[in-house]
Amino acid sequence: MAEKVSETSNTKVVEKELSFGPVHPALLEPYRIRLFVNDEYVEDCEITINMAYRGIEKLFEGLPVERALIIAEKVCGICSNVHAFNSVRVIEGGLKIEVPERANYIRVLTHEFQRITSHLLLLAHAFEVLSHETFSMRSFLLRETFMDLMAYLGGNRVMASVPVIGGIRPRADLTEPLKKTILDRVDEFEKKYLNYVDRILADPMIMSRLSGVGLMTKEEAMEWYATGPTGRASGWDFDLRRDQKEYKPFEYNIIVLDGCDNKARVVARALEIIESMKIIRQAVKNLPAGPIINNEWCPAKMDYTTAYIETYRGELMHSYGLDERGLIRNYKIRTPTITNLAAMEQVCIGDHVTDAILTIASCDPCLTCCTRAEVVQAGQSRLMTELEIVDKYGWRR
Amino acid sequence: MVDYLVFTAGLLASSMIAITIAIAYSLVLPGIERKIQARIQQRIGPPILTPGFWSVIKFGYKAKVEPMAQMPRFYGSLVYFGVGIVMLLLLFSTPYWWAVLGWGSILGIAGMLKLEEVIYVLMGSQSQSVLSTSMPVPDLVKGSKRPRVKREFVEQHSAERALKMMAIGSLPIYLAMLVPFIAANSPLISMVVVHQNPAYFSSPWFGLPLPSNPVVLSVAGFIAAIVYLMGYVMLLNEKPFNILKAKVDVIEGGVLEYASKLRGYYYIMRNLLLFAMSSIFVTLFIGIPFDPLMPLAFLMNMLLSLILPICLAVLVAFSPTLTFRQIYPVTLGLAALGVLAMILSVSL
Repeated sequence: MAEKVSETSNTKVVEKELSFGPVHPALLEPYRIRLFVNDEYVEDCEITINMAYRGIEKLFEGLPVERALIIAEKVCGICSNVHAFNSVRVIEGGLKIEVPERANYIRVLTHEFQRITSHLLLLAHAFEVLSHETFSMRSFLLRETFMDLMAYLGGNRVMASVPVIGGIRPRADLTEPLKKTILDRVDEFEKKYLNYVDRILADPMIMSRLSGVGLMTKEEAMEWYATGPTGRASGWDFDLRRDQKEYKPFEYNIIVLDGCDNKARVVARALEIIESMKIIRQAVKNLPAGPIINNEWCPAKMDYTTAYIETYRGELMHSYGLDERGLIRNYKIRTPTITNLAAMEQVCIGDHVTDAILTIASCDPCLTCCTRAEVVQAGQSRLMTELEIVDKYGWRR
Repeated sequence: MVDYLVFTAGLLASSMIAITIAIAYSLVLPGIERKIQARIQQRIGPPILTPGFWSVIKFGYKAKVEPMAQMPRFYGSLVYFGVGIVMLLLLFSTPYWWAVLGWGSILGIAGMLKLEEVIYVLMGSQSQSVLSTSMPVPDLVKGSKRPRVKREFVEQHSAERALKMMAIGSLPIYLAMLVPFIAANSPLISMVVVHQNPAYFSSPWFGLPLPSNPVVLSVAGFIAAIVYLMGYVMLLNEKPFNILKAKVDVIEGGVLEYASKLRGYYYIMRNLLLFAMSSIFVTLFIGIPFDPLMPLAFLMNMLLSLILPICLAVLVAFSPTLTFRQIYPVTLGLAALGVLAMILSVSL
């Protein structure tokens, strides 16, 4: 009966369904797209996530807050730093811990390093979906600069582990030689990167694939809460960095475009990289002297506190409370992918099938952040099965 | 009778030599192609023999896997048909076959190419890979938007695309191919070669008759050669015209289910087509045929046959996949150029 209601309530006529994923070369993450198509054109779309169960919040439950930080960083391999950053911002906000100015600068620096690596990854993925291997590989090659800088700063290319509660790790403090290296590498990167972007924009085949496809108006972006560069490429001037105290000392532009299509979403990220370079230069040149950590705090009961941050894909929320012993209670994470991907479900309607996959990819979905559970044991990490989660935590989770 | 037997023996010998050399040579071409792409992408790339030769050998040793298809044996046999068709396509362009039932003509070549295109439609309509069916998602239980819509396999969608490419995508190569025949005022390949290379038939077996009037050096021939190159890319389903095997949606298309030996034969089919079409280009546009009984001629043909795969490799490295939104106008533009070349070639 339910099927009949569902069937009659859909007025669009569709010829057939094409299913992609959860295992598919174009989808780097485990999610599933069902396209309902007429000929080559998408009439309707359904995206299913949670192919791999997300249980990471449960792992936080009852952990000492400093240990939880280690897990928070491992929520995602691409945006590891922002999860660690926002996780400490929650307790710093809740327990009113002052962070030294020098530590804030270095936190912002790391954040922008990773914004660049994330955006370059999106460019690489977008060109891979376009089947343009050369541009895709060039993007990965350019990304190496900032992967190296992450390693110089934190000792690791992916999990740099820079923020800690009250400041940054001593290992991540900037030395004079490192400052020089960062500035030199950024200069070198900028030349190559601008040349790369010029070539992309001058390529008629690429522009033909990107322009006028996957249209999302400003109103739609706001209605579906498509945040980050995805929403800003539709003209929605929304960026949490504007109100974030860590970003107050820096001068940069918020990139807002009115193209509303896949081209705008790609170009918005390309331009944000240039703005990130501006912030990086300011952070290095104007780095204040002083301590890098404030240890004058102690775990105590903390009410449920929330922190929002502008991550590379949009708005990221972390929230938790601490009990009397300083153990974590009710950790919740909401990543931007959840709303951005839902928006793309609507936006790809009307596209050619091949373009629809690109449209969905253009919101930079990160299902790793969004749906995956991970166990860290004795320095090794592995995925946690649903059965293990049920065994450990029971059905009511 | 004796003449007939001698001719048949010569035909068989030349065919066997041609096929052996062509297969061996064609298995080197994908390595060259991949190496060029890799260098453009600032990578080292695979060893030259790996993508073609060693891959085929490796697939020969793989355990047999039954393809998931409506009719697995028919699906498996399609790749053998494909290899056979491409072999005939190549043989029809070799001098011994020019005298056999008029196959050494535009009709023989165009007919074989059409059959080759049909093979892709059949492959796509048969293949039913696991990627489109066994999803661990109970769509009906979860309250799907459209629970009763007919579900199509990605390969079947690829077959529909193959049909569209057959209808419009193959137009440029046929138009371009007509140009040398129009210039020679004959549908026969032999006349096309003689038109460009008058000394060819009077040369000794060890000679190297070079063309005095190659079509490719005329304006019409040059335009046709460019259109031929683009048609060649379309026929090989390579970027930017690889919509029927676009990895982003239909993955490998109809050939997705070929594994082990069948995959090896598919590689032979694809690589032989790569070489056959290049060799035909040299025969028709430069006037040096792939003559297995004239060593210097076929060596020259093989050398010049590298032109198209090299151009293809560069084009592939710098192209995205185009959708039908772009393919239709591009094809029409190329077809218009092909017609222009045909008109210009009348005066040659």
